[in-house]
Amino acid sequence: MLSFIGRSAVQKAITLFFVSIVSFLIIHLAPGEPGQVDPLNPKFTPEVVERFKKEFHLDQPLYVQYLYFYRDLFSGETVSWKDNQSVLKKIGERFLNSLPLFIVGTIITWTLSFPIGIRSAILRGRMYDRTATFLSYLLISIPGFFFAYVLIILVVTHFHVPVIGMKTFGIGDVSLTFQFMDRIWHLLIPSILGATGGIAVLSRYVRSQMLEVGGQDYIRTARAKGLPPEKIHYKHALRNALLPFVTMFGLILPGLIGGSVIIESIFSWPGMGRMAYEAILARDYPIILTVNFVSAVLVLVGTFISDILYLLVDPRIRL
Amino acid sequence: MTVKRVLIFAPILLILFLLQSYFWVPTYEQQTRGNPKRLGGYIAGSIGDASLLNPILSADSASSNIETMVFEGLIDRDEQLRFRGRLAISWQIYEEAFFYVNRSVNIPGLGTPTPEKIVDLLEKAKQKKITTFPGLTDSLANITEISVIPPRHYTIIKQEKDPNADKQKIEIKINVDSPAKIKLVLNRVDQDLFQNLSHLLGKNYFDSFPGQGYLKTDHQLGKDKLTAYTRELLPATEHNPILKFFLRPGVRFHDGHIFDAEDVKFTYESIMNPKNLSPRISDYEPVKQVTVIDPLTIKIIYKRLYSPAIGTWGMGILPEHLLNQKALKTEAMRLGKDPDSFSMRHSNFNRQPIGCGPFRFREWKSDQYIVLDRFDDYWEGPPNYSTYVYRVIPDLLTQEMEFYAGTIDSYSVQPHQVKRLEEDPRFQRFSGTAFGYTYIGYNIRRKPFDDHRVRKALGMAVDIEKIINYVLHGQGERITGPFIKQTDYYNHNIKPVPYDPEGALKLLQSAGWKRGKGGWLEKDGKKFEFTLITNSGNDLRKAILAIAQDAWKQIGVDVRTDLLEWSVFVQERVNKADFDTLILGWQMGIEPDLYQIWHSSQTNPYQLNFVGFKNKEADDLIVKIRQEYDLNTQVEYCHRLHKIIATEQPYTFLYVGKWTAVLDKRIVIKTVDTAGKDVYERIKPTKTGNYSFHFNKWIKLPEVPTMLDEG
Repeated sequence: MLSFIGRSAVQKAITLFFVSIVSFLIIHLAPGEPGQVDPLNPKFTPEVVERFKKEFHLDQPLYVQYLYFYRDLFSGETVSWKDNQSVLKKIGERFLNSLPLFIVGTIITWTLSFPIGIRSAILRGRMYDRTATFLSYLLISIPGFFFAYVLIILVVTHFHVPVIGMKTFGIGDVSLTFQFMDRIWHLLIPSILGATGGIAVLSRYVRSQMLEVGGQDYIRTARAKGLPPEKIHYKHALRNALLPFVTMFGLILPGLIGGSVIIESIFSWPGMGRMAYEAILARDYPIILTVNFVSAVLVLVGTFISDILYLLVDPRIRL
Repeated sequence: MTVKRVLIFAPILLILFLLQSYFWVPTYEQQTRGNPKRLGGYIAGSIGDASLLNPILSADSASSNIETMVFEGLIDRDEQLRFRGRLAISWQIYEEAFFYVNRSVNIPGLGTPTPEKIVDLLEKAKQKKITTFPGLTDSLANITEISVIPPRHYTIIKQEKDPNADKQKIEIKINVDSPAKIKLVLNRVDQDLFQNLSHLLGKNYFDSFPGQGYLKTDHQLGKDKLTAYTRELLPATEHNPILKFFLRPGVRFHDGHIFDAEDVKFTYESIMNPKNLSPRISDYEPVKQVTVIDPLTIKIIYKRLYSPAIGTWGMGILPEHLLNQKALKTEAMRLGKDPDSFSMRHSNFNRQPIGCGPFRFREWKSDQYIVLDRFDDYWEGPPNYSTYVYRVIPDLLTQEMEFYAGTIDSYSVQPHQVKRLEEDPRFQRFSGTAFGYTYIGYNIRRKPFDDHRVRKALGMAVDIEKIINYVLHGQGERITGPFIKQTDYYNHNIKPVPYDPEGALKLLQSAGWKRGKGGWLEKDGKKFEFTLITNSGNDLRKAILAIAQDAWKQIGVDVRTDLLEWSVFVQERVNKADFDTLILGWQMGIEPDLYQIWHSSQTNPYQLNFVGFKNKEADDLIVKIRQEYDLNTQVEYCHRLHKIIATEQPYTFLYVGKWTAVLDKRIVIKTVDTAGKDVYERIKPTKTGNYSFHFNKWIKLPEVPTMLDEG
């Protein structure tokens, strides 16, 4: 076990190193330059552009820029080019804002998908299964922003309550309970919207996994034993169908930092996804690269966790 | 089964808990009409957040929106777009001009000149009324003072790149033996002064000044370098326009500190300080010296004639006492940063600015909102609104929802949304012409676009009216030249290029293009074909691309089109001038300075005259316009320049967009009359369409006042 952890740590560090190089190269190879050195603004004379390039080390060879960037990142001194704020501080703030959305969305997705998918598998080919399949594909194929708009318009025109932002704008001096409940309300629509897409995809996986496991000998044995169907599905079948989901669970961790660009933009949610997206548009390299790096770390941590979970879920696997 | 129950009930309970919060949320009604405080605040909706709230550091529109509320400049523009005093009560513009005594020429009737002889000559000419050259008489009458600056000897040290070693710098010592100079003080700026004086002093008096002979260097220098240094250190003639501001007494910053001339000087110095990386540094490059005469008078001397420089004093003035060396050092120490590398860019001031504008800063939540409070000590009297809120809502549709609900007072309304709001009695609507235009640019370096007949014919083949009606839904107007349509600089006598495909064909025929095989136009056996490009992501331009392609195909021109991602478009094609024709737009400032976009010296790669427009007369006018301080003369030059560009057709000028703004009808202008009674008026846009010009007098009423409801 310990040797596995050690080996995996070394492997992941090497991967991370290459990821850092590749992401750095991609950003710099991508066309476009930061707004500060935008040549099509008549106010920016070549001298000003030169000076900005120097300040941002853009005049140095790429490997020197790379060293500068990661030196600053590890000493916690990276600042955004847009407003000179510490990148880590910004990411920290945004992370906390995105966290509730992520938690609520994940809980709903990872609970509801199972009963829905399992029922689909049990009632394979029947009306329920077909409806569920139809709805899933509908949800998968229609873009999320469309549902977001429909929901917003419905709620705003019928219930006359604000839905955007993290809290009602200018809520002012009301009791803490009100403030808390107000925040909960604002969490509702975006997190449910975020969850619906997830449920649509995940319940499909659950269904197909359950169908696959359903044909196994031990399930037939369980049936033959006369166990109640409920128990067969939720104990014998589900446990064995879980294995692929362990991998997926490890991969949702980076979603924590990626956030959801569309949902956050539509709902004016000051989260991670929106920040990263705006940074990409403005070519704010320090923010893009830091977010990139942190999500790379999270992906690796996620795969590590899923490796460990494998051990726990399936005793046959030895590492 | 517990697992099943948990998997079903946990999310349902969670959703129920989320749903019940509905009963706790204030409705829009409670927020707007039910909330009397709401009337005292103005909430502006914005797509993006501000970056740095420091007028000398930021260059984005969101930041400058807030900065105009928090900071105040010395001057701004009034309803007629003329300058008006803010922190300055008044100002004075005059000139000091210099020229060297040139011993290498003979002055007609004087022989070899000496300083005394020249002064004498000028004085006498001033007395005498010379009628042969009316310009000279004017120039002489304009001189108020003539004096001599004696010869001077000094040494200057310059850094130069070492030609032998890369990146190494060497120091060059330059000995300057400056001969005697004549100083003239002029009543008003006179760009033709030396040209007129040459009638008196001899035609080549100024041109033949042998400046290079007075320079001695300790290193061998190239000819170009030497000429450049001569021009810098010993210019034969020199115009030094002077701008003197008389400041408003008793104005305070939001922290109570009194504003004075030192703050103005400090703001200028901060912009010029290379450590601050101010994007506005080029605006102030022509400044030679800023001197504080007394706490309420400041004198700015310019290196050369450059009239757009006056407008730069609309820049918000920074409080010196909060940002000077000492203050920054203290802040660096407090934050534990290195005081040497700590600059204004790093200061926390940029997130909690203090100026002397009508609103003071209260709070900023990144990507959510910025709140400003009314500044009660504002010199012009406090605004009517007690708060100004800048709310960031990145999505246009949700912005519209919030606007309908009344939780934002303004938002960037889109042309197709205007229709929806048009008939709504709750809103008032303003619209005006924008400060930018869209055009098709031709790469004049390439054949056949070097022929103005071809460019004009191509313009004639496109039905621009149709573009305006169907692509822009009527939200645009024709434009014929590069000036802002609602300013005096724009020449309204110029007619737009007509839509006339027949005429276009005739014009092309006169340029040698005839219909050949397959109906394509041909000249010397070559088919007329080229590529039209623009950037992707702009639906209007994409539509124009298709329309132009089709229109040109109709007259027998084979056009291919291409959409490129913005940065590729700019870096690979525009900057390198690698295109045939393109569709692009310009955002304009009010100043009529067209140097960067139209002067022939700006046609190199990475410069803005990427179409390669070169015209001697236009060059001359462009330079004259930026050197002229008299508005009427400037307008005259602009009209002529406009005409040249309209004749040459380096661009097919397509249209200038219209903007529309929507406001709640309950927002009105409130003033107090002499009897102390409140007077309400409708908001009326100024001549240039600026409806928020009187923003400080705006207020929102609980109901639409009846007298305003009609009309």
